[in-house]
Order: sequence, then C-alpha cells, then structure tokens
Amino acid sequence: MDFLNTYFNLVPVSLAQGTVYAFVGLGVMIPFRLLMLPDLTAEGSFPFGAAVAASAIAGGFGILPAMLFALLAGILAGGLTAIIHLFFKVTSLLAGIIVLTMLFSINIRVMGKPNTALFSFDTLFTALLGPAGGSPISQFAVLFVILCIICFTLLWFLHTELGLALRAVGANQVMASAQGLSTSWYVIVGIAIAGGFAATGGAIMAQYQSYADVNMGVGVLVIGLASTILGEAIVGRDTLFRQIFAPVVGAIIYFQAVALALSLGLRPSDLKLLTALFVLLALGLPILTERIRKRRSKLSQ
Amino acid sequence: MNAHPGLCVRGLRKTFFGGTVQEKTVLNGVSFSLQSGEFAVLVGSNGAGKSTTINAVAGDLLVDEGQIFISELNVTSLPAYKRAHAIARVFQDPMKGTAAALSIYENLALADQRGRRRGLRLGLSKAKVDRFRASLSVLGLGLENRLKDHVSQLSGGQRQSLTLIMATLNEPQILLLDEHTAALDPRAAELVMKASLEAIRRSGAATLMVTHNMEHAVNYGDRLLMMHDGKIIFDLNSVAKAKTTAAELVERFHHVISDRMMFA
Ligand SMILES: Nc1ncnc2c1ncn2[C@@H]1O[C@H](COP(=O)(O)OP(=O)(O)OP(=O)(O)O)[C@@H](O)[C@H]1O
Ligand SMILES: [Mg+2]
Repeated sequence: MDFLNTYFNLVPVSLAQGTVYAFVGLGVMIPFRLLMLPDLTAEGSFPFGAAVAASAIAGGFGILPAMLFALLAGILAGGLTAIIHLFFKVTSLLAGIIVLTMLFSINIRVMGKPNTALFSFDTLFTALLGPAGGSPISQFAVLFVILCIICFTLLWFLHTELGLALRAVGANQVMASAQGLSTSWYVIVGIAIAGGFAATGGAIMAQYQSYADVNMGVGVLVIGLASTILGEAIVGRDTLFRQIFAPVVGAIIYFQAVALALSLGLRPSDLKLLTALFVLLALGLPILTERIRKRRSKLSQ
Repeated sequence: MNAHPGLCVRGLRKTFFGGTVQEKTVLNGVSFSLQSGEFAVLVGSNGAGKSTTINAVAGDLLVDEGQIFISELNVTSLPAYKRAHAIARVFQDPMKGTAAALSIYENLALADQRGRRRGLRLGLSKAKVDRFRASLSVLGLGLENRLKDHVSQLSGGQRQSLTLIMATLNEPQILLLDEHTAALDPRAAELVMKASLEAIRRSGAATLMVTHNMEHAVNYGDRLLMMHDGKIIFDLNSVAKAKTTAAELVERFHHVISDRMMFA
C-alpha cells in the first residue's frame, strides 16, 4: 500500500490545485451551460490573466490592482470572442480559437518574454499566509473561502433581473428578444464574465506557483470541462445552486483523482490524454448506453 | 373606441433571394392600420405572407420597402427587442414563446418586464407571486399551483396558454397572434382561444390574429383581412364582417385561387 502513502502526501497540494482550477471550471460552465454556447477562450484567458497579473506584480502595482487588471483582461478576451462570434458570424468555437491564438502573442508582449518569475515578490499567498506563502492546506482554505464568496455572488446575480435575462437568452433567444432583451448584449456579457473567471484563475495560479508562463494554458479548457461534467455527475444541475457549485466540487474531486493516478505511477504527461478520454466518455455515455440498450432489446426479440 | 392609431403599416415589400432564380416576392405592398383596441383577424392561403407580415411588424424580419408605425412612431428599422416594449406575441410554435429551462415563475417575471430596463433587483418577489397566480388561474389549468415547475415539464397546450398569459401580463399596445391555437388539440385550442378573447378585451391592445379557422375568422374580432400572394386583397369592417358567413368566406377563397389559376 505504498501508493496510498504517496497519495496522502499529495492530498493537500491537490486540494489547493483543485480550488485554483475551479475558477476555470466556472469560466467553462457559464457559456457551456447558461448560454448554451461552447467557448474555448479559457485556454487563452487563463494564461492572459496570469501574464497580466505577474507583470503587474513584478512592475510594483501591488496584488489587488494586479488581480483587477487580470480580471479586466479576461473580460476583454471573452468579450472579443463574443463580438467575433456575433458580428462576423463565426461559430463560438472558432471565435475562441482565433482569440486564444492572438493571446499567445499578446501574452509574450505583456510579459516581454515567455515567462515571468514572482519568487521575489509578495503574492496573494505571502500577503495572507506569511512570507513562506502558507501550507497547502491553508492555501486551500483561503481559496475555498474566496470561491464560496464568488459563487454566492454569482448565485445572487443570476437571480437578479439581469441574471434572469441572461439565462433567458441562453434558454431561448427568440423568446428573449420578444421580451425586449438584446440577445447579442447578453451573450457578450456572459462570455465576458466567463473570461473574467478564467483570467482570475490564471492570476491566482501565477501567484500560487510564483511564475507565469505562456504555455500554462495548454489543456486547461479540458480540465475545466472535466471539472464541470464530474461535478454535475456528483451534485447534479437541477438547481442554480447545484449548477454553480458543480464545477467547484468537480475541480476539487478531479485533482484528487489526478493525485491518485500519479501515486499509482502514472506519468504526468499522460494526464491530458486521460482527461480528454474522460470528457469524451462523459459526453458520449448517453449515446453509448442508448446503443447498447437498443442492441439488447433487438437481441431479446 | 378612440381613434388612436395603434399600428400603421404602409407599403411593405419583402423579396427573398433577390437577384437569383429563386427570387420570391413575399410581401408585395402590404398596407393596413389598426386602432388601439381594434381586433383584426388575418386569413389567407398557405404561403400568402401572413407570418411574414407578423414577423415584419414584430421586427424579426426587416422589410425592403415600406414603413411601420407604432403609435405614430416609426419603428421600421428597429430590431425586435427595441419594439418589444409595445408588442407582445404568441407564436405558432408552442416551443418558441417560453424558455423551457426556466420555471413558470421565471418566465412570467421576464414577460412582466417586457421591454423595460433590467437591473440588479431580484427578479422574483413575493408581491409578484400573487399577481402571477391570479393571472394564471384565469386559464383553469392549475398552473397557478406549479409556479416553481420548469416549463419543459408542460405540454404544448399548457406552454401556449402560458405564452398567452405572458403576452398580456403588462398591457401591450399591440398583440400579435400567429395561428396560436393551430398546434393544439381541439379542447386546448378552444381554451386558449377563450383566454385570448378575454385577454384582448382586457388589454385594449390593437390585435392582429392569424387563423385558418373560418368559424373563428367570422365569429371573432371586428375586422377581417384576407391576404393573397403578398397583398391584402380585402378588408372588411365590423359591419361588413357581421354579414359574412364562414361558407361565404371559403367561397371567396376559392374564387381568389381559381382567379390565380386563370391568369397564371
Ligand atoms: N426566411 C425565408 N426565406 C425564404 N423564403 C421565405 C422565408 N420566410 C418565408 N418565406 C416564403 O414566403 C412565403 C410566405 O410565407 P409565410 O410564412 O409568410 O406564409 P403564411 O401566409 O404564414 O403561410 P401559412 O399559412 O402556411 O403559415 C412562402 O412562400 C415562404 O416559402
Ligand atoms: Mg404562417
């Protein structure tokens, strides 16, 4: 039972990682579930947030302004994807790919180089948890509290007139415009909010690992998607509360599964393949079970 | 009835696929006007351009030529969402008028604010519940006890009834009903029609109702418009309409269609 020992040692770190990626999960869930528009921008807005926050911290702006800049950067990135989608009539997926490709170059411009180290600067973690940046468990606790505050704020927002309108646009665009809602505007707002979440996740990640890197976005979208799907399988999605907390719970469980897989001797480089297969399986499961059910009923005839 | 012009439509033209072999002129100079409180029934064969006229008035489709005025305001170039403050509609397709993923309560709250500015107040409130319950109870479907249910759990007829209540919740100036009972079983159709007549009387909206049911066309409303090939071919006022029977109307239909055959 050697691997269990390894796993238990990994639990605190993976809890902290899970809460960081929960932000990406929220950024993926909002377009995917509330707007019914799959969006890939997270893959670009995550490193964008990291690059902006890291450069701002290294440039002496302080932690809060740096986080705010990252948030704005993500809102801009998401908004741009939505505008490309709406005004150039490009599918939301392709619009996201265009934006994340642009962001790769922009991130290098923002940092002036492909990465930025923050080891000698104050971060969210050193400011709140002492010069060493705190233990993984205390990092997890801090991030979890922040996440809960954000999730409840999002829950409140989705119950306001504006939030209700946003959900109506996702549910039925014809009905929404007949009720006087500018569907374009709400799509822009929704995808911009999602971009803000992913970029905030990137900003926190940069401070968590004390550096930002242009390549840190590779694969985050699938992690966000896996977290959302996994979380929905666990907590369900029949109320808004469950829908919002699903990506958070999912991200935390996902990183526990990753820790377990690693302690069983899996190579970190295999994780993306496994995650993608998991998402494929989760998305394909309904079709697969349907096929099997049909074949069974045919055989029994 | 006051002589306040609710809706005025002048010379609407719309051509699909212009400049190609499939070119099709669907609206060929449609003009009519409705005073507020007036209830007009629009009939015509399949493909006559009735839905296109409705869509043009609602703003889902921008016309090539002509003007549309709502209470003397020119709205011809405004998109649907900017006309929604004045216009409420029930679609032919029961799925179109409501958001399935939201609750009955949330759908009503959205319609209650049709065309108004949305803010950060909570969308649902205690005060609204009683008002919504009272509005729904008119239908006699028991929907008033299911406010929290998702609309996806309702049948087509229930959804259409809900859409009608939503449309008349905050007194529209113009009410557009496009064959709104066509997809329903006879009992549900009668029910929704009854509720519509009641709502039209109550709201005082200028109403345009499309139907293929000739009995409805002669029995309801105080104007009768017939469309054919993108034009309004006749327009009966309430006096003339009162003298018309369903059989005569069908007769005129056949007359128009055989005329077209002769000239074709
Ligand atoms: N978006 C569109 N593109 C091309 N042609 C269209 C479009 N919308 C309507 N048409 C055509 O315009 C004509 C009129 O259609 P419309 O839906 O207004 O008829 P209608 O009078 O409502 O008929 P029905 O009684 O069958 O509902 C039809 O020939 C239809 O094929
Ligand atoms: Mg039609």
